[in-house]
Amino acid sequence: MDVTPRLADADADPDADGRTSARGGRRRGGRGLLSVGIVVLLLGAAGFLLVKQLGDATVYYRNADAAVRDKAELGDRRFRIQGTFVGSKRDVGNAVAFTIAFNGVKVPILHTGSEPAMFRPGIPVVAEGRWSADGTTFLSDRIDVKHSETYRAKNPGRVGNAP
Amino acid sequence: MNETTASPATRVLGLVTAAGFAALLAFALVLSPADQVQGELVRIMYVHVPTALVAFVAFGVTVAASVGYLVRRTEWWDLVAHASAEIGAVLLAATLVTGMLWGRPTWGVYWTWDARLTTTALLFVLALGYLAVRRLPVERERRTRLAAVVGLLFGPTGVVVRYATEWWNTLHQKSTITTLDPKIDGLMLFTLMLGFAVFALLYVWLMIHRFRVLFLEHRVEDLALDEAIAERRAEAASASASASATGARPPVGAAS
Repeated sequence: MDVTPRLADADADPDADGRTSARGGRRRGGRGLLSVGIVVLLLGAAGFLLVKQLGDATVYYRNADAAVRDKAELGDRRFRIQGTFVGSKRDVGNAVAFTIAFNGVKVPILHTGSEPAMFRPGIPVVAEGRWSADGTTFLSDRIDVKHSETYRAKNPGRVGNAP
Repeated sequence: MNETTASPATRVLGLVTAAGFAALLAFALVLSPADQVQGELVRIMYVHVPTALVAFVAFGVTVAASVGYLVRRTEWWDLVAHASAEIGAVLLAATLVTGMLWGRPTWGVYWTWDARLTTTALLFVLALGYLAVRRLPVERERRTRLAAVVGLLFGPTGVVVRYATEWWNTLHQKSTITTLDPKIDGLMLFTLMLGFAVFALLYVWLMIHRFRVLFLEHRVEDLALDEAIAERRAEAASASASASATGARPPVGAAS
């Protein structure tokens, strides 16, 4: 049953029921189309996220030990490697060389590009790049700091040893 | 005539919530210590984690209320599901924004497609989709039934978001407060707990008001429906009356 308010139909013929309800239907159809469009758009976005991104996201990075173990399989493919920055860094030309370690396995990194503000020894990092041709070094062009789930007071003395 | 959705109880609750936020600000910005590694950035956590957790609770309530609606088919369950999803979406948006503001100086990037962030984006899109379904211009009962079914999807999606950091390697850190000995400073932990409590109060306060507004929206919708039916009846009556007369134009809606 068409129950669209008839305010706009004051001039319509009294017997033109078919026409007025068709008009009402069209008006509703327009709004419906917009809503369906929005739902389709959102479903599309969800599908995109699922297919395109979740595939990559499940292997966001490989830990240093796994990256060394799978070196042959990885070849010169681009991937992310994770480990804790140990020792210190030194400049090599316009690149910076340092070492990361995970689970007892150390990997030398040669990084070209910017460094995040929190990049310093003792911090876990995720570097993006590939194994060098000889497989001895990881050549990276992007570093993200991976913050741990540990939170400690900067100056424990300042606030006392709260329980 | 009462022209507000407030009641004495919600006014008290609102005041308590406001006082809670004042206390949270004091603890988060002044009384709690800076972090050893992140420094002052750690303070974003006191909004980011509580909004995330309460958003999860909100979507959980939507799942439960959707089940409730599908079983009982009463308006009460429907309104609870709708109101909770709206608040959940707002809280999740706050989670995403605060997370990005923290990510840039900490990780080095605002956004990255790791499993936690990707699934959270998915949850947010689902929330927007759910709210779009709630505005579909179809019969209320059909819209409500559809929304209740879509609302169930918050369940599995939420579980995947929650465990993304455990199941996969993510740039996002794992949960801190899951063990008896959390890896967090005492005062930081207290501030975080205060954040949970305050945002939970905010959720309850918003829920009551949003529930009442949605209830009134339904009554307005019913009223418009009754009016339209009455108009139609009057129209039909005058049309048949004029058909027997000499074809004079009847004033539409005059009898309503």
